[in-house]
Amino acid sequence: MDKFSLFVPNFLPCREYFDPGNNNACPGCGLALGVRHVYKAADKAMEKALWENISDTKFFGIKTNPSLLKIKQKKNELIICLDNEAGGSLRDALKKQMPGMAVAEGFKYVATACPSYPFDLYDKVKKALDTEGKSYIHILCPCPEGWQFDPENSVKAGFSAVETLAFPLYEAVCGFYTLTVKTAKPKKLSDYITIQGRFSGVTDSEIAEAGAIVDKEYSKLLEKIQSSYSYTFETTGKVY
Amino acid sequence: MEASSGFLKKMIKCSLIEEGTAKPYKSGAHRKSLPEWDRDRCIKCGVCYIYCPDAAVYRLDDGFFDVENQKCKGCGICHSECWFGVISMVEER
Ligand code: SF4
Ligand code: SF4
Repeated sequence: MDKFSLFVPNFLPCREYFDPGNNNACPGCGLALGVRHVYKAADKAMEKALWENISDTKFFGIKTNPSLLKIKQKKNELIICLDNEAGGSLRDALKKQMPGMAVAEGFKYVATACPSYPFDLYDKVKKALDTEGKSYIHILCPCPEGWQFDPENSVKAGFSAVETLAFPLYEAVCGFYTLTVKTAKPKKLSDYITIQGRFSGVTDSEIAEAGAIVDKEYSKLLEKIQSSYSYTFETTGKVY
Repeated sequence: MEASSGFLKKMIKCSLIEEGTAKPYKSGAHRKSLPEWDRDRCIKCGVCYIYCPDAAVYRLDDGFFDVENQKCKGCGICHSECWFGVISMVEER
């Protein structure tokens, strides 16, 4: 039912900043779709801000392989990670450490997003660009070539990642977590794994193991959300 | 090694001999099929527009959507995301 929020695409600004002629992305590239919506959300910041590709730098002391994009403005700095999980194992795919690290490093606004939920992504980029200080957005970009599925299912793969809780969409404002896309009835993790050709060699026991990882990660996240909720409630008396 | 040598041959065919980047090459040129809209059933919601990774779908003045031939890579996302099955992928030649 939550798909009905998608009725309003016509309200998005129709100005395109993204020039597909200048990229050689494959058909159905989730990364291209993500970048397109980031540009759309950045809107006026497109011209003024400083854009930098910092893919080869070390981030949080670890070597990163995802592409990192830095948008530098006068008051703030936004780092966007376009993660297509290239070359990662199933374990790596399910355990995302970067957002947690960003929160620990004191980033003011940290969020995870996926181009299959363009409004969510749009809001998050807008919020990050309005936040003073550093912010970080981790975008999961389904990659038809790397994940080995039909390009037309690229958006569906993103839905699947979120609906199976493999990649929950949340944001952390000053360390206070909230879920932005709620999944009432999570789907089985195997749905997400079996659509991807790259995991075709994964056995049932490995899937069960992966399920345990997902459950653990998600309950950790829920704990964080619960504690931030009660903290804000106790200190301010307001429910956000 | 059979498979990899076949792959290599294919890759050699698409190497760019001149200096520079692949910018001037229109990636839309090698697609298999192009989306086509059935106007009678379209509700003008814009889902096809929002999910196109190549920004190839654009809105016409009457609210319907159409594709820019030069940009579309024929991925079929618009076809699979439209809830009413308005868009069909038509093979080109
Ligand atoms: S998604 Fe389908 S119904 Fe909606 S505007 Fe596009 S073609 Fe029309
Ligand atoms: S087939 Fe793919 S590239 Fe072409 S218009 Fe549809 S979504 Fe865009």
